[in-house]
Amino acid sequence: MKNSDVKMHVRGKSIFVDDILPPEGLLHAVLFTSPVSKGKIKRLDVARAKKAEDVAGVFTWKDVPGKNFIGHVVLDDQELFAVENLEYIGQPIAMVVASTKRAAVNACKLIKLEVEELEAVYDPREAYKKRMIHGKKRVLVNGDTEEGFKRCVHIAEGRADCGPQEHFYFETQRSLAIPMEDGAMKVCASVQSPGIFHRHIAEVIGVPMHKVELEIRRLGGGFGGKESTAVWVAASAVAAKILNRPVKMVLSRNEDIATTGKRHPVSFDYKIGLDSKGNILAYDVDLYQHAGACTDISLAVLERSFLHATGSYRIQSVRITAVSCRTNIPPNNAFRGFGVPQAAFGIESALLHAAEVMGVDVNLIKKKNLLRDGDSLPYGMRPEKINAITCWDELDKKCNFEERISAVDEYNRENVDTKRGIAIIPVCFGISFAQTALNQASALVNIYVDGSVSISAGAVEMGQGVNAKIALIAARVFSISTDKVRVDTTNTSRIPNASPTSASTGADLNGMAAKMACEEILKRLKIFVAKRINHDNPEDISINDETVYLKDIKTDYRWEQLIKDAHWDRTDLSCHGYYATPGLYLDREINKGRPFSYYSYGTSVTEVLVDCARGTYDIESIDVVHDVGTSISSAIDKGQVEGAIVQAVGWSTIEQIRYEKNGKVLTGVNAYKIPDIKLCPEKFNVYFLENSSNPFAVCNSKAVGEPPFIHGIGAYFAILHALRSIRKDKLVPSLPLTPEKVFMYIHEC
Amino acid sequence: MLRFVVNGRVVETDMHPGTILIDFIREVLNFTGTKEACREGECGACTILVGSLDANGGVSYKSCASCILPIGNVRNCHIVTIEGVNFEKNLNAVQQLIMDNSASQCGFCTPGIVLSLLGFCLNSKKFSYDDAIDSLDGNLCRCTGYASISNAAKGLSEVLREKNSDIEERVNVLVSSSVLPEYFLKIPEMLTDISSVPNGKISKDSVIVAGGTDLFVQKPEQLQEAKLFFISERKDLNYIRQDKTHILIGGAVTVEEFRNSEVVNKYFPAMKDDLLYHSSMILRNRATLAGNIVNASPIGDMTIILLALNALIVIECKRGGTRELALDKFYRGYKKIDLEKCEIIREIKIPIPKGNYYYNFEKVSNRKTLDIAAVNTALLMQVDKNGKIGDLRISAGGVAPVPLVVQNLAQFKGNVLDNNIIRKIVDVVTEQVTPIDDIRGSAKYKKLLLKELVAAHFKSFY
Repeated sequence: MKNSDVKMHVRGKSIFVDDILPPEGLLHAVLFTSPVSKGKIKRLDVARAKKAEDVAGVFTWKDVPGKNFIGHVVLDDQELFAVENLEYIGQPIAMVVASTKRAAVNACKLIKLEVEELEAVYDPREAYKKRMIHGKKRVLVNGDTEEGFKRCVHIAEGRADCGPQEHFYFETQRSLAIPMEDGAMKVCASVQSPGIFHRHIAEVIGVPMHKVELEIRRLGGGFGGKESTAVWVAASAVAAKILNRPVKMVLSRNEDIATTGKRHPVSFDYKIGLDSKGNILAYDVDLYQHAGACTDISLAVLERSFLHATGSYRIQSVRITAVSCRTNIPPNNAFRGFGVPQAAFGIESALLHAAEVMGVDVNLIKKKNLLRDGDSLPYGMRPEKINAITCWDELDKKCNFEERISAVDEYNRENVDTKRGIAIIPVCFGISFAQTALNQASALVNIYVDGSVSISAGAVEMGQGVNAKIALIAARVFSISTDKVRVDTTNTSRIPNASPTSASTGADLNGMAAKMACEEILKRLKIFVAKRINHDNPEDISINDETVYLKDIKTDYRWEQLIKDAHWDRTDLSCHGYYATPGLYLDREINKGRPFSYYSYGTSVTEVLVDCARGTYDIESIDVVHDVGTSISSAIDKGQVEGAIVQAVGWSTIEQIRYEKNGKVLTGVNAYKIPDIKLCPEKFNVYFLENSSNPFAVCNSKAVGEPPFIHGIGAYFAILHALRSIRKDKLVPSLPLTPEKVFMYIHEC
Repeated sequence: MLRFVVNGRVVETDMHPGTILIDFIREVLNFTGTKEACREGECGACTILVGSLDANGGVSYKSCASCILPIGNVRNCHIVTIEGVNFEKNLNAVQQLIMDNSASQCGFCTPGIVLSLLGFCLNSKKFSYDDAIDSLDGNLCRCTGYASISNAAKGLSEVLREKNSDIEERVNVLVSSSVLPEYFLKIPEMLTDISSVPNGKISKDSVIVAGGTDLFVQKPEQLQEAKLFFISERKDLNYIRQDKTHILIGGAVTVEEFRNSEVVNKYFPAMKDDLLYHSSMILRNRATLAGNIVNASPIGDMTIILLALNALIVIECKRGGTRELALDKFYRGYKKIDLEKCEIIREIKIPIPKGNYYYNFEKVSNRKTLDIAAVNTALLMQVDKNGKIGDLRISAGGVAPVPLVVQNLAQFKGNVLDNNIIRKIVDVVTEQVTPIDDIRGSAKYKKLLLKELVAAHFKSFY
């Protein structure tokens, strides 16, 4: 079973927001944004822009019909249009609406703005010192690290830094708002959070939520970047409301790169201690998250980093602090992995340092300290069936780590011009929203009298194949062909208050809700059949391959006829399914609880070849064993694993953003380089952990969207391995390890 | 009035010739299968095929980025969008392979990938897997991680390898193999019917557009209002040939044509691979050598190579006369060139090297392919029978306001090349450069890197 959209994708027939046939009277909106990182608006003059040719209107905060706030968690933390204070370059100040996009862009240039520029802060540690933080500093202590360090023979202490990452979803931020009768508004947008964006739209245009319909067909990629920041959706709705005409807003690529949030850079101070046998006794780490100007979703990301600070390892005593630093850059937001890749980078950096101090192969320490059954995590949760070591051993069997590591070492002893590097990365990733309330989903299953099935769910399709998985689950429950099942758009009128499609939970939650609804209808159908044939036990009825069976004996009663008859007999063929993940809680006072339903595990080995003279490198091979439970669709899950890994290879190697001194993003599309087909490793083997099952998610599967991302940091550590074989007299360079950094590490004195 | 065939239909328009093709396709013709994701030719989501009549009456198709392609540049051409390669019911062979390999997730890049792979089907000499991958070097995908796309490409090259690879028969073969729809067979006739003689003349206020691959990134808005002259209208400038002393390249020749030229590869066999590091297939198919030269970027890969090869340029002046000058005399300062209004580059002449010679090109960029170099450099060196250095030319990009030709190398003539001499050459090169900190790297990095790359030139021979 494949992603059901692909057949349309290859024919160019899939409809994305900008492909919707333009409604009569469509207008185009463009934002006028802050040119400074910090300042106060002294004067704003939009008069000339208003009079420009083809301009329908120019709007500021004064014109917003409802609330001028769109903060994700803390509503009043983010204004839709700046009132007075400017906090980052790209912050919306006004909006020009015109009959063509070009006219709107040109009119934007006529807006006059006078600003009193203030001193901005771009460094998270400096922000922290100035007490510019979002929320509170989080502290998690488990065991006594002070005591732990006393017993350590080897202690490594240092700093590690990882950089930002641009989502580079192919479809940039966009939205189309269409006014309907009675003050209602329909919005078609490319967003991951139907429920939250629905609320934002209603709030900014000042109508109750039942007058807003948000429709999401599919996204041209999301990766977290369309989960929280509502600027573009809210702004287009405001314009449509005021002008009573359809309004579209589509960001250009460079606007999108320059003004939208990124993956959070994190700076770590770590101290790690091991006994003589290599057991990690104590880990003390401070995380400085670079959050940007508004809270957005940063505190949730911070929490996940915080909870995953120990990675895949068991550590006797830990002290973790984490703080979200407020700086004057566009608010960073969710990005596949949601803080976990950063946390993994932190602990892996510390371990590497420790191994160098000890003078042993880091992989021995990794294996020795991997989580095993019975271990608990620093927040007190003891996971059932820990597959960390199983994945490690399984991959070791396939790849023979010892042989490969010694082959690399031997190569490096014999070669000067090129060096090899190898890194083994384990993954342990908690599944569920750490915010317990979000772990709920609903689905609406309708069977029509011709036997076709339509499903609506709260999940948003963005290429990850959630719709195909839901269709497959439904087809399995009814035992009908997937051709009979269609997953409809995500629409707030059919599915209210849906949680974001994120945290890898889309299929887990919505698949389960759909399954429950299907099972309920199936139950009704069985009762109907039993009644029809005067059989007293409905449980003796089953459907197999679109045919009714009685006590496992095939009848000639087919699905289509069954549905027709059931309807005629007044059986309800529509059902709303609802699922809330059981048993979750997190006490944020003491940072203890069971925030995750289960964990996703894996191990990967990455090998690279570094060209010493040029500072360039090739990712030669990546081998992975990943635990996807019992896969609902192996084709989809394999694509998720491969895609996540290559995205993380990009973050680890060539994806870098440069800023001007005034905080302006300097990197446009011509300099922000994501992996291309030639960067992808030639040897790329993805295996699923065999015989894995998972009672905590739908059909025994495991979530797969984010966890494999962690494997990709192997590219950074493999290159680093090659570099450390050349010299160790320098500090370890930060992530990403660009060719420039590699070159300078080797060649600069 | 511009005329072209879009998919199977003749289209006429009075719109400004600087109108961007993707806007025309999506907004005027409502073919929304072509996606816009960068508008700088950086991602390939907007890839289409452009077919033009060749000398034999057939149509030659090239994959191109439609987001930086003005409609004036496709006069009399066959424009193929994703809608134009669909069969009524089934999928074409490329689409089927993408489907079978799950080589599409969000789908936004997919139409472009289909078109680029069709470009491979139409152009690859032997349907090799490497050609298939090269055809995709300008098509980014953020979802799949490419393994599945590579598998689809592999499947495609395996299916096609069993077919007749005769390029003259190519369209017929692809139509009969369920790769292209049947209407492609009628296109040569349709294009012949609509062919009009271009009437554009260069005037003082003309902006001269060659491939447009940089111009339409830099100032697309102004160009949509300017008076444009398209080099593609000069069919007489589309040649590569040689005389006794030079390789002669017409002013309309594209980088990809140059890369694949037998004449060029006869003397510089490395060129075919070197130029894979020049932009991407969908850009090389439009970017011209002359455009690269006139663009005067201090980091242009093509310019750096031509400078090392001691190329000459023939400039066509206002009244049809010509003047010739060495390429290194053409650059007068940052983006300042010796070219009057109304003048164009008619021809580029590369001296055919004599005796025993070495050519090498080095480039380092953040991403190896489809990226602008931090530093690039090329070398051409003659060596006599006794291993003594003859003429030596080294060029370097990204280290000066102009594409740099290193001076004072004549002093090494007659020396036997050894490590000591190499070190001295490296020093002479490094003394002449003045890189700056910018988005491609720090000044210090560029200087140190150039040192290594110049040394690497010599390593490549020994």
